[in-house]
Amino acid sequence: MIDILIWLVALPLAGALAALLLPRYATAIVISTAIATSISAAALLYAVATHGVMLYEIGGWPAGLGIALRADGLAALLLTMSALVLLASSIYAGAYFRENLLRSRFWPLWLLLWTALNALLLSGDLFNLYVTLELLGLSAVALASLAGKTAAMQAALRYLLVGLLGSMLFLAGVTLIYAGYGTLDMATLSRVVAAGPIAWSALALMTVGLLLKTALFPLHFWLPPAHASAPAPVSAVLSALVVKATFYLVMRLWLDIFSEVVIPQVASLLGILGAAAVLWGSWQALRAERLKLLAAYSTVAQLGYLFLFFPLLQALPAGAARDAAMGGLVILALSHGLAKSGLFLAIGIIQQRSGHDTIRDLDGTAQRLPATTFAIALSGTALIGLPPSGAFLGKWHLLSAAFSAGQWLWIIVIMIGTLLAAAYTFRVLGHAFGQQPYPRHPVTIAIEEWPALILTAFATIGLGLAGAPVWQLLKVSL
Amino acid sequence: MLTAHWLYGLSGCLIMALGLRAVLLNDSLLQRIIALNVMGTGVFMILITIAYRGPDATPDPIPHALVLTGIVVAVSATALALTLIRRLTEEQDSD
Amino acid sequence: MIITNMLFIDILLVMSILSLAWATLTATDVRRSVIFFIAFGLLVTLAWARLQAPDVALAEAAIGAGLSGALLLTAVQLRPRGTLPSEALDNEKQNRSNRADLRSSAAIRWAVTLLCIVLAYILIWALLQALSSQTNDNLAQSVNANLANSGVSNPVTAVLLNFRAYDTLLELAVLLTAVLGIFALSEERAGYAPAGAVFNGLVSWLVPALILMAGYLLWVGAHAPGGAFQAGAILAAAGVILRLAGKPDIGLPVSSTSYLNIILVIGSGLFLLVGLTMLALGRPFLGYPEAMAGKLILFIETAAMISIAATLILAFIGGRPHNREDG
Repeated sequence: MIDILIWLVALPLAGALAALLLPRYATAIVISTAIATSISAAALLYAVATHGVMLYEIGGWPAGLGIALRADGLAALLLTMSALVLLASSIYAGAYFRENLLRSRFWPLWLLLWTALNALLLSGDLFNLYVTLELLGLSAVALASLAGKTAAMQAALRYLLVGLLGSMLFLAGVTLIYAGYGTLDMATLSRVVAAGPIAWSALALMTVGLLLKTALFPLHFWLPPAHASAPAPVSAVLSALVVKATFYLVMRLWLDIFSEVVIPQVASLLGILGAAAVLWGSWQALRAERLKLLAAYSTVAQLGYLFLFFPLLQALPAGAARDAAMGGLVILALSHGLAKSGLFLAIGIIQQRSGHDTIRDLDGTAQRLPATTFAIALSGTALIGLPPSGAFLGKWHLLSAAFSAGQWLWIIVIMIGTLLAAAYTFRVLGHAFGQQPYPRHPVTIAIEEWPALILTAFATIGLGLAGAPVWQLLKVSL
Repeated sequence: MLTAHWLYGLSGCLIMALGLRAVLLNDSLLQRIIALNVMGTGVFMILITIAYRGPDATPDPIPHALVLTGIVVAVSATALALTLIRRLTEEQDSD
Repeated sequence: MIITNMLFIDILLVMSILSLAWATLTATDVRRSVIFFIAFGLLVTLAWARLQAPDVALAEAAIGAGLSGALLLTAVQLRPRGTLPSEALDNEKQNRSNRADLRSSAAIRWAVTLLCIVLAYILIWALLQALSSQTNDNLAQSVNANLANSGVSNPVTAVLLNFRAYDTLLELAVLLTAVLGIFALSEERAGYAPAGAVFNGLVSWLVPALILMAGYLLWVGAHAPGGAFQAGAILAAAGVILRLAGKPDIGLPVSSTSYLNIILVIGSGLFLLVGLTMLALGRPFLGYPEAMAGKLILFIETAAMISIAATLILAFIGGRPHNREDG
């Protein structure tokens, strides 16, 4: 059972290599690998829920000398969400890319991205995290540049340079940690790290590096062009998973390893930047002309919400209120992952059928693509945070945490952000429901519309009902 | 602490800071990639300095392994970045 | 006396390295930057040798200075009009009449310089704290204690291919990702004219010598500085020389897509296979049995060397080889 941890990394890697060697069967290999990996992720979730934190020492060497893989509730939840998003997006991508040429280059890189994600979420070693970050960054850039247009390549190059800078800063932090504590194992470090110049400097360096990769305001400039010009399934994974993975690392650093080192003022700084991200991102999304740009800016805003939790988690003492806030954070992250990927997939369908994604020219979409429009509407509910979506639960807990901690500023920010989100969602839906004078026959739901529907349905209804299990799982922590 | 630690540690930090300055300020993309590589070399220098234990003792092999991995990762990223730049330049030329 | 001499050499080396770094980063002409960068890399190699890191010195010379330098040199080739490739980002800014954009504003330059000074200060402060306190030698001692069971006697190889083999597996995946990305982006650059007699003569003995050296480095990595990465880089150098000499066949099966894919995949593939075989045998992933550890490591390193060499050569030629069936 413990082997499941390494299978989660070995399966997509083996699939990538197989897809490269046997291009004729690549699609079949990828879909079966996707299914196998998703089943493994679900199995891990079950195993963590029943057995607690899982530890796997690779090579049999003790953690420290060797590299350990660790899974707790948070990692298992994120892994399952990634598996769901990637499985749905793989099915979508199979129908999206027509030419075999593109597929033979796409599939291996796609599975390598999945390998990187799983490896990152499971890693228990700081330098191993650096390697997974680089693998994630390079595969994401390679996939983003597949669109082939100049704008896409410019955005991909900027993404690459920013990503490399972030990784370099992260590595500098890891170096300081090794210099000061002589170990790279995260569990050992969470016991021995103490406040001091080494810990502060290392945390600062690693956080800035990760914030660059998570696109927190004002380091977000690279995200909208990169996510907007990538092919639709790639945008879905970039917005939903890749930035979430680096955010997960910020969480691990701040709440787990360096929890005793963090100063409240710096946590407030993160909160302020998050607030700026919410306001700026939502405003830019409202002004966006294209659907994909709207979705990309919405990602910037939604990530801002996640950072609002940091000052609150810092201020609340350990107890029920803090646990509820943590639960809210995770549910909000999961909800955004599912909703945003569904949104990007739906936009991709519109882009393919209509040839464009300009918001003003969306008339008639509801008539021609009713399922896709419904998916966009569901995604919008999850992004705004209307009940019964998981995001509603998340924002509710964010608000109650702000109330209990007495930090009123965030409440105003959340309200403005939610209003703006409602504005840009209804703007899109308003255009989409515009009637065309001569409606064409409504198209039945094609295979590529199912993934978007399922993902957004999960985000709204599934997560809303799954609040309690998520809370339970989060208690299983390192 | 050995003199070598002082010297090389200091210079590693300086190289990293200089590299960062160039990444942020230089105009040309190519120069920024070179600056990223220089920054990387700075970090590697800090790592190797940590591993050094003196002229008579065996150094700590773990940072050496880390730097080896880092060098290979850096060259992969550089190669991808350079290909992207070349593609972009070709697109510009054909405009 | 010896100590004073070493100190003198150290100071000289560090000052040269810093000056070269400064020259690389502040050169106005990109070509000058590249040349300075290569020199910088070679001096850094000396620094590694001085700090008793011969494995790293080999890799830095071959990959860090050598191959990176070669890649950068091909990137600064002149365009037909005799100017250098212009920067692809910020096209809109070039069209604006107000050319005093963000980066040339004095305030921004000052702010960034200040930021970097702060960074340097933080790094130095933390580093000196770390170095002057009691060195945590637990891991190094752990490595030494387990070295006998690892199958090799070179501690760096033991760490890379046994204790932290998972990192190396992922690193091979990084190499593969990079080359796949390069393949997706473009075809190979134009080749070179066939070499004249002198160069041909050089190639005819240099390439076999390099291949031999690579094989030696691979073999000796088990008990002396060397290993798969250094060997792979030397093989790649051989491929680069063949390319520069205008040979159509650069040592890779460029005419066949599937063979080329096999060569690219064989490093990470065999590594993963060995790991999974250990799982099937009831051992932990990549947990080699002590008796077979040395042989398994050599086996994995050979496959890795082939993939590394192929990846670096293909990165040098810039993209998919022309004769591939699917283009």
